[in-house]
Amino acid sequence: MEQTKKASFFSIGLVKGIAGFVIGYVLGIGLTSAIRLAMGLPVSDPAAYGLTQPTWTTGAIFAFLGFMVAQGVMSDWFKSAKGEDIPEHPQDAFPSGWARYLSASYDHKAIGIQYGVTSLIVLFLAGFFALLFRTQLALNQDILGLRNYNTIMTLHGIVMIGGILLGVAAISNYLVPLMLGANDMAFPRLNAFAFWLNVPGVLILLSSLLLGGLETGWTGYPPLSTRAPLGTDMFLLGVYFIGLSSILGSLNIIVSIVRLRSKGMTYFRMPILVWAAFATALIGLTATQLIGLSFQMVLFERIFGMSFFEGQAGGNPILFQHLFWFYSHPAVYVFVLVGLGTISEILPVFARKPLFGYRWVALSSFGIALVGFLVWAHHMFTSGMAPYLRVPFMYTTLLVAIPTGVKFFSWIATIWGGKLSFETPMLFALGAISIFLLGGLSGPPNATVSTDLHLQDTYWIVGHFHATMFGGYIFPFFAALYFWFPKYSGRMYNEKLGKLHFFLMLPAFYVQSLAQMQIGLLGMRRRIGLWDPSLGIDMQQWAITIAGFVIGISVLIAVVNLAYSAARGPVAVANPWGSRSPEFQIASPIPLHNYDTPFEVVGEPYDYGLEGSAYVSIDKERYHPAAPASPEGASATPSAAAAD
Amino acid sequence: MTIKTIFDKFSLRETTASQDGLPMPTASLPKNRRVLIASSHGLFAQGLRSLLRDRQAKGVEVVGVVSNLEQAMGALEKLNPDLIIVDYDDEALNRDEFLARFVEGEKKLRVVLLSLQSGKEALVYDRRTLAASQIDDWLEEWNDAKNRRGIMNNRPRAVKPNRNLIHLGIASILVVISTFVVYFLLRSIRLLPAAASQQAASIDNLFMGEIAVISFLFSLIVVLMLYSIFVFRRKKGDTSDAAHIEGNPKLEIAWTILPLMTVFVFALWGGKSLREVTQAEPQSLIVDVIGQQWAWRFEYPIEGGDKVVSDKLYLPVDRPILLRLSSMDVIHSFWVPEFRVKQDALPGGENFVRPLRVTPTEIGSYKLRCAELCGRQHTTMESDVLVVSQTDFDAWLSEQSGESPDPVVRGEKVAKNFGCVACHSVDGTKIVGPTWKGLFGSQVELEGGVGSVVADEAYLRESIVNTNAKVVKGFPAGVMPQTFGTQLTEKQINDVIAYIKSLK
Repeated sequence: MEQTKKASFFSIGLVKGIAGFVIGYVLGIGLTSAIRLAMGLPVSDPAAYGLTQPTWTTGAIFAFLGFMVAQGVMSDWFKSAKGEDIPEHPQDAFPSGWARYLSASYDHKAIGIQYGVTSLIVLFLAGFFALLFRTQLALNQDILGLRNYNTIMTLHGIVMIGGILLGVAAISNYLVPLMLGANDMAFPRLNAFAFWLNVPGVLILLSSLLLGGLETGWTGYPPLSTRAPLGTDMFLLGVYFIGLSSILGSLNIIVSIVRLRSKGMTYFRMPILVWAAFATALIGLTATQLIGLSFQMVLFERIFGMSFFEGQAGGNPILFQHLFWFYSHPAVYVFVLVGLGTISEILPVFARKPLFGYRWVALSSFGIALVGFLVWAHHMFTSGMAPYLRVPFMYTTLLVAIPTGVKFFSWIATIWGGKLSFETPMLFALGAISIFLLGGLSGPPNATVSTDLHLQDTYWIVGHFHATMFGGYIFPFFAALYFWFPKYSGRMYNEKLGKLHFFLMLPAFYVQSLAQMQIGLLGMRRRIGLWDPSLGIDMQQWAITIAGFVIGISVLIAVVNLAYSAARGPVAVANPWGSRSPEFQIASPIPLHNYDTPFEVVGEPYDYGLEGSAYVSIDKERYHPAAPASPEGASATPSAAAAD
Repeated sequence: MTIKTIFDKFSLRETTASQDGLPMPTASLPKNRRVLIASSHGLFAQGLRSLLRDRQAKGVEVVGVVSNLEQAMGALEKLNPDLIIVDYDDEALNRDEFLARFVEGEKKLRVVLLSLQSGKEALVYDRRTLAASQIDDWLEEWNDAKNRRGIMNNRPRAVKPNRNLIHLGIASILVVISTFVVYFLLRSIRLLPAAASQQAASIDNLFMGEIAVISFLFSLIVVLMLYSIFVFRRKKGDTSDAAHIEGNPKLEIAWTILPLMTVFVFALWGGKSLREVTQAEPQSLIVDVIGQQWAWRFEYPIEGGDKVVSDKLYLPVDRPILLRLSSMDVIHSFWVPEFRVKQDALPGGENFVRPLRVTPTEIGSYKLRCAELCGRQHTTMESDVLVVSQTDFDAWLSEQSGESPDPVVRGEKVAKNFGCVACHSVDGTKIVGPTWKGLFGSQVELEGGVGSVVADEAYLRESIVNTNAKVVKGFPAGVMPQTFGTQLTEKQINDVIAYIKSLK
């Protein structure tokens, strides 16, 4: 008994992966040290924790490879390389239970849940970092020490970004195949591989805490980042691997959307969330390389002494900022577009009205994605780039308002004259609109160059992007967690706790964001650990910190609610919200292989109020065996004709 | 796929008007019904046609009759019908194929299947909705008014147009009120620090303009949303849907164009403001600002290639300042909140020196705060900025430069630095220009027979600034550069005059 238990523990993918991570680390360090020894180079440097910088970096790369090899997600590829037969559809290591989620699974739903849970853990960690340094800022005493302050502040940023990318991937992975009528993503193995890349990526990223900290801010501008301690290498590597995951995930989404739409689903009949995921994936596929490239250049500069960004040696520090923001600005739209799609998805269901201007909303996602590629230098108005560049980038930045405005107006027109009900997902969707509005409207002063000269690098910016992130991602993410809870857990969450979560988080966020904007205008700089008491902003600093704690508590309530309800909540019906979306036409939780037979799209996705209309044709009897139905009749239903 | 399957799948067979009780909302029907008849039986087609022609006055137009599949598909493209009436029993039509192709299209139209053999009278097949109802429902538009009202009562209750206008009216008033409330609230709280530079005025002006627009747009969306939340609530027990309104292209275009115009306004305003803020002024006081981890250094170039170095930034009030920013190590950023403007200081040498122009307008002490994360002590990288009067500034600078309080000594230095003595001797010898020795107070004879003048202070000043105004006899005109008026400061000119006076 003991033996089998032990054996199963070590057969869990995560455990194998971590073992591979450690072995890889040791192997990489040993190999590099041996080579250095053979070349007569020093193997130890007191500034680099007993080893050398290249040794640690190689160790981390080997650790990453060790994880991916040992985890098991690549085993089919190895088999295929060796010429062995592999099944058409990959087999999960474990058919059910906890072990399934902790090991390689190729089911897009399981991967979606893996992404979602990892995302929550990572977001929680990043939120915890925020509360740590917010405490210091409220007290205005150096309780952490500036080194730790800078490190924690930096990690809050980059870990949050990682968490958001994971959350976006969770929504896309879980829902896109379901909405397309597919049983999985186009490339299930690649999908699993892309998820597991994140785990060693995050581990390496967090290891920077132990290796001298990370005092560069998440933007990692050289030459600061080329001089910073060892932890910076881990930061650069960690982000590199997470970025790779983003590229592969995006590729998978795009191919799935192009290839796996069910019969009758033209592009303009796709659910709006699929449009958003499509636009997001296009950005992720084409822009992420730039952050990988820029971080790789910094890494080369650090390890090989290259001088891409060293002005004295013919390089240019501003070049990095161009490369960095060419990804990192569109990345903002990667964070929010799926969230905005979720809002568009939820509003019609709870308003019982069609989504107003479906095509406009769908295309506005592409409009935002397109314009998003042309605005990066608005992060650089004070950077010292060529002054004439500031004006065109001001124009393009202001243009973002147009497609974003279309979304806002369409949302309002959707709920106008509707029959609204206010379950938790709807509350979060409406809250998201108001907060994203706050984030959007605080944008134009950053777009007009002269006002941005005052606002750049202040807490105004901090307030502005936290509002866009909360409105464009955090609130919609929770809306999605509640809205699709019956579909992924098979149970219902507690409505009262859900509402409590909302009514704590919304006002707390307003307090936090508005106070941040105000103190930024008054002179509070970004990324400082102590502030000048003569600014007279004590009250606001306390308000921000307390609001931060309230948000933390509300998220705790949500986690408790979701975790408890997933285990003990009342069993959910197939379609608790009366949604027209296909995933709600089949049982809760979603059956293992989604749709027994592909559905056919026979109408518009959001024709609420159009009597007798339907979006998809699904043989209900097949998915609800409880209903009286003769099995013969069911099998005679010739919807299989659409199988081609 | 067969017709039967379609019917089975959507249970169209069972669906009748009486069962679901609800006809198509008229909103989704076009006004002029263009009808296409598909049947190879002439009698069927003609009979139906004449039947419909009777009703033509009421908006029905038979646009064509087709007798096979190819014709039907072609007519779909060309004739653009709203409704196709298909002879269900007609084998020649190959209706299976027809329906399969019909489903693939996207245009809104419907098909009515008429069967003379089946007991059912007719089936309406709607490509948009795939709902089935009896032909009477579709034709109910031209039923008598009484009948229609009866049907209307069963319809999902849309917001009636006039009631919708009332809602919009109330909401508009609330938006206006809210806009003013938000705007005055924002104006009444402490939003910006004191403005202490000429640049700040232009920036604050634009910012407050943006605050006004923000107040309006925030009110517009939030008030309409809250209005919907409070007014358009679902009543308890109401399980029906709201009105089927899919969109309104005119509205969409409007809310694309109007924000675009607003964007143009702010783009122009932003460009104008940027020009004001970065306008180059001649006679600017130049200060080199050098950042390094984690302190600022300020260097004031003075005569003789020398510089005054300070750890506090002293600036004369109302004088355009040109700050030349650079860094010794990593990127820093120069920001005095009261001045509003900001610029990064870059490492990398001469090619990376960046200008920042500011004209302080208020005497006072401020703080320069590094705005770009620059490492561990970034937090403490602050310096005092002291804006003082020109006199105090001059006093401070000369005190710092250790230069003589004697204007004669200073004037000698200026004369050397600016190359005056290369042409004007101080010992009475004649070089290119007249000697300065014994010049002051002497009688100077001018070129061109215009007499002579006494070389007083006014004469000397004019000769420095406007060199060709009075040319001394025996010396060619147009040799001396005319740029000293801009090259030299007022103080330097005075010093030079004092120096000349001293050369007896």
